[in-house]
Amino acid sequence: MSFLSQDQRVDEKLGQILGQVGSVRLRLNSLAIQHAVLYTLAIVIACGASIFAGAYLVSPLIFLAGGAALIVVGCAGVVSAVRAGWQMRASAMRAAAIADDRAELKGRLSTVVALAPGDNHSPLWSYLIEDTLGRRDEFAAAKIERRRISRAVYPLAGALVLAAAAFPISKIKHAPQVALNEDQEDLTVDLDDLHLRPADPGDDSGMQVTADPATMRRLQDKLARENPAGDEAAGNSLNQLVNRARDMAGNLQSKLTGQQANSNRRLNLRLADAGDNRDQNEIRRAPDAQKNRHREIAGQFKQDLEKSNEIDLPPEDDSRQPNSQPSTGGTGEAGVESDAGQENPAKDQSATDRSIQQSGENSSNGGEAHGIGADPDSLFGAPAPSKLGNEGFEISIEARPVDHGAKGAGRAYVPPKVRTPLSVDQEPDEPVARAAVPADDRSTIKRVFER
Amino acid sequence: MSEVQAETLTVADFARTFRRIQAEIHKMIIGHEQAVEELLSALFAGGHVLIEGVPGTGKTTLVKTLGLALNLSFNRIQFTVDLMPADITGTRVILSGEDGRREFTFQPGPAFCHILLGDEINRATPKTQSALLEAMAELQVTVSGTTYRLKPPYFVMATLNPIEMEGTYPLPEAQLDRFLFKVRLNYPDEGELTRIISSTTGPDEAGIEPVFHAAEAPERVEALKKLVRQVIAAPAMEIYAARLVRATQPQNSRFVTDEAKAVHDEMVNRYVMFGSSPRGAQALILGAKVRALLDGRANIAREDIDQVAVSALAHRIMLNYAALSDGIDATHIVERVIKSVRAAKV
Repeated sequence: MSFLSQDQRVDEKLGQILGQVGSVRLRLNSLAIQHAVLYTLAIVIACGASIFAGAYLVSPLIFLAGGAALIVVGCAGVVSAVRAGWQMRASAMRAAAIADDRAELKGRLSTVVALAPGDNHSPLWSYLIEDTLGRRDEFAAAKIERRRISRAVYPLAGALVLAAAAFPISKIKHAPQVALNEDQEDLTVDLDDLHLRPADPGDDSGMQVTADPATMRRLQDKLARENPAGDEAAGNSLNQLVNRARDMAGNLQSKLTGQQANSNRRLNLRLADAGDNRDQNEIRRAPDAQKNRHREIAGQFKQDLEKSNEIDLPPEDDSRQPNSQPSTGGTGEAGVESDAGQENPAKDQSATDRSIQQSGENSSNGGEAHGIGADPDSLFGAPAPSKLGNEGFEISIEARPVDHGAKGAGRAYVPPKVRTPLSVDQEPDEPVARAAVPADDRSTIKRVFER
Repeated sequence: MSEVQAETLTVADFARTFRRIQAEIHKMIIGHEQAVEELLSALFAGGHVLIEGVPGTGKTTLVKTLGLALNLSFNRIQFTVDLMPADITGTRVILSGEDGRREFTFQPGPAFCHILLGDEINRATPKTQSALLEAMAELQVTVSGTTYRLKPPYFVMATLNPIEMEGTYPLPEAQLDRFLFKVRLNYPDEGELTRIISSTTGPDEAGIEPVFHAAEAPERVEALKKLVRQVIAAPAMEIYAARLVRATQPQNSRFVTDEAKAVHDEMVNRYVMFGSSPRGAQALILGAKVRALLDGRANIAREDIDQVAVSALAHRIMLNYAALSDGIDATHIVERVIKSVRAAKV
């Protein structure tokens, strides 16, 4: 049987007290780590789920702004959570102070832990150790801190619920779009239904626009009318920035929603020109010097045609312009011709040319290319420089391709072809045969022209 | 002998003895529980007490009763304008010996006792007031170049009459600082007053039974005072006391250094001219030690320091005219300082 000295007994009891304080410290630090980790997870999951849901629910710009805000808030939250966890960590001294407060030990544990390393203790030191050890039940780890799991588990559960709610949104939003994009690559829209805005240089929206030259000119004029400062706007850095941001957000949304392949499919947009009189008159009145120049060239060409009485029009590029017939001004014949032209382009082209030559320029409502059947730009010298320079333009279309309805398969509405018979007083136009000038009249004609 | 007693005394002994003395005093003093506790705390902490109260609140009776309960020698000096220092410390007088020779012999004054009551100390001149300084601080008296030691325990209680200020000499700051606590005796409430009337106007007087025997009383009191000094103060508690004292010092004071680490309170900066001296921190810790022993602990806690803060610091704080005009008391300042330091959690 061994007898311990007074000091040894005090040291032994001190060890017991410090061990119990150590267990309190362990639990507090465990909670601090849990706090940091669980809160970080909760913030990351909640932000991720919100961004994921936003990719389906909101427009690209809102998605970009909201996503950026969420990322910033999330980063701040993570930093805050880690910082809070770091501040919650407990040294032995802090654990003793917390135990003192919670068990109302009035500084006993703090004093013991603070003075334990020292050697020169007060005569009341042993009394303090005895007194503190006698209250060991009051500062047991389970009593000082009952929780083993941090309260941060609740935010984490909330974040998981949010994430769980985000996945059904993706299912709901995903299905219809897949059905719509499956079977349609060609789309024909009327020029009057278009809303135009300038596009960025090099912008590729996955859409190829085709139309006959007249329609393309109308498109150009419309762009000039609807966006008078188009060139400036296209060069506007803010617009470019917004457009790029929109595209970037759209790409990000596509990646998140898994719809990237569908959205990258090229859509062939065929422009049709319903060509009402109002638009034609507006085009005539438009103070566009280049357009006037085309008119003059076209008129001169028509006079030459009359003089020469020849039909020799250059063929148009039907491969790129399937609806290459000029507008006849509100009758809708262009659309009919376009349909026929798609079935037999060469035949239709010659027939159309003849029709133009016969009915020709006598018609007063034919537009600038009436009676010609070709683009003056390509007929008379080099093409004029584009108003938009090298930047081009983008067409924003509100319509969506659908796979149902009477006008499916990418055909615009074409009114029926109507031939009005001539009256009894009318005679069909016939070409006048070329004849030689009589010798008696030659001097007279020459004098008139010299005058 | 006192060392042996200090080792054998326990925390429980201290608390038991303290409560017995308290009970004996309350046989004579009705009410004033907190004042009595602070008085005894100052006694066992080794300090002196300044008692402030209106006339008739039992200041003199309290001190007298304390002397009787402790069974220690007790003297009372009524301070007046014409009181001289020699009337307190003693003086040399010519005495005739048995052989007929006449020689100067030191005749001890009323300061030579264990418990000294200086009644209405603010009525004496500063010169006379300062005669107590050496006795209170050094436990010695110097007369005509000769120093005489006072026997411990030595406990000075001075009373202040807050009214009738004409013809009084406010205590100098240096002398105020030498009092460990300043205890305020308020008017008794109705119940206490009724008991005072019945106990003091009847035929029987309350008999005080001394707690100690006369022969051993000084040693017992000294042993208890030594036990108080052995109470453990953790470094954190000492830091807390130091912060409290520093927080009483206004930020704009030219005597304040290292102000970056101090807790500053707007009220202190506005109303305090001079804050507490380092003696205030000593008073805080010593008073807290007594409180800890009374609570059965061998260590002090913040609660102990807070409980004695007003008594230990209020009379050490000099207020300015703004405080006087706004009716701000030093007690308010100390309570505000405690809140500020606690909230700072530095």
